[in-house]
Amino acid sequence: MTVINIIFRVEEICKKYDKYDVDKQRELGASGDDAFSRLFNSIDTDIESVVHKAELASTETNRAAAVALNAEVRRTKARLAEDVVKLQKLAVKKVKGLTKEERESRCDLVIALADRIQVIPDGHERQANSEWGGASAPNKNIKFDISEEDMDDGFFQQTEESSQFRQEYEMRRKKQDEGLDVISEGLDALKNLARDMNEELDKQVPLMDEMETKVDGATSDLKNTNVRLKQQLVKMRSSRNFCIDIILLCVVLGIISYIYNALN
Amino acid sequence: MSSDPEKMMSKADKMTKLTLTRWSADWRGATELYEQAANGFRASSKYERAKVALEKASQGQVMQSSPWDAAKHMESAAALAQKLSIWDEVADFYRKASELYVECGRAQPASDALGKAARALEEVKPEDAIQLYTDACEILEEDGRDQMAFDLYRACASVYIKLEKFTDAATFFLRLGVAADKCDATNSQCKAYLSAIIVYLYGHDLKQAEKCYNDCSQIDAFLKSDQNRTASRLLTAYNEGDIEEIKKVACSSTVSNLDHAIIKLARKLPTGDVTAVQMNAGDDLDEDDLT
Repeated sequence: MTVINIIFRVEEICKKYDKYDVDKQRELGASGDDAFSRLFNSIDTDIESVVHKAELASTETNRAAAVALNAEVRRTKARLAEDVVKLQKLAVKKVKGLTKEERESRCDLVIALADRIQVIPDGHERQANSEWGGASAPNKNIKFDISEEDMDDGFFQQTEESSQFRQEYEMRRKKQDEGLDVISEGLDALKNLARDMNEELDKQVPLMDEMETKVDGATSDLKNTNVRLKQQLVKMRSSRNFCIDIILLCVVLGIISYIYNALN
Repeated sequence: MSSDPEKMMSKADKMTKLTLTRWSADWRGATELYEQAANGFRASSKYERAKVALEKASQGQVMQSSPWDAAKHMESAAALAQKLSIWDEVADFYRKASELYVECGRAQPASDALGKAARALEEVKPEDAIQLYTDACEILEEDGRDQMAFDLYRACASVYIKLEKFTDAATFFLRLGVAADKCDATNSQCKAYLSAIIVYLYGHDLKQAEKCYNDCSQIDAFLKSDQNRTASRLLTAYNEGDIEEIKKVACSSTVSNLDHAIIKLARKLPTGDVTAVQMNAGDDLDEDDLT
């Protein structure tokens, strides 16, 4: 059984046994009275939900979601503020069966309600205070109230901190720019060198090819010559010829020694 | 074999002369003797005689139908002539050597020979040197080896610059560009065009420079290159008469990668502040006319 099914079933059961829910009956009963109480109760519930949302927003880690929730909270607060005004009008109206004290208490209730609405955190001030430490905290309700007196010298004066910060920023930026210039010059030189080298190598390619063919031809010639030389050597210095040479040499020596002996 | 080179020379001469007893000249023996004589003369530093011996040896090789050896001898003779500073002979000998190389079908050594001749004559007879360079480039181009011609074109252009004939120098750079285009050597091509523009500017010829720039911008490779940007900066600086900008461009890395001669020209560039100011005045007048 899925969660959805469980939820539906629980709702059905609750609806069935609603008549036994004391708080709810009291609510329904109370709100049956007049426009004031109805509106009051609805505003009350709205405030509860908004407070709940504000709590969620404050604990939300995802900045985008937090911002969205805060925006919703603010929207609801604005709406509730309007409703409170309506409520105030209703509170002043004379209603049947209501005593003077009760009417006064209703006005107090309305004021209390308005305060409660204002107190609801909507993430606006807190963020402003944390991020812009030196600047003044902006109002919750944005009012464009720049009057002429404000536009005097003091209004646009930078604080010491901010002007120092600006100076430092400029200095650092200048240093960065200088460094980048140096790098870019180096890169330019490298690029030109690389391009020249590229062209030089391109020039060498056909030369190398030619050299390769010529060297190949030379190697094959050399091989042929070597083979022929070897064949010649083999023919010239074959062992048979060598033995014959030695034998003949011995014969000649023998003849010479014989003649020598004969002469002596 | 006598070791005295003079005797060898005379003997070889006798071997080549046709007389009643000798019906055909013995070129092989004669050539050998000539070569040996030449070596002997060189060893004893008699360069004049060595040169003559080499000439004759080369002729002997020609008779023996070996143009390669003949050409080599001719080159050695030319080198000796260079040492002796007999410039006409230098040119002649190198030319002959080059022709012999062409006979062998070897274009590279032929153009190398002419290149050596041109380099030797650069100082003394620049016009001849230019002619030799041009011939060398033609030989290479005929053989389809344009890439080797780049250096020759550059040398020729620098000779023209020394002679202060800037239009001719720029023409040669443009020819370099054409040769580079054939080989897809875009870097050399763009550098050649930038050099041409700088040469025109140095020659006080802003209009020519601009025309040259417009022509070169038609070429894709140049259009996309750094050299194009540098050229356009230079020309705008000239048109606005902004001397600071001209100097900055002249010291930029793109210009510093060109030939030495061109770098020197570029550094001197605002040739006479007159030109820049003139252009400035011209611009002002134009503005007035428009209003």
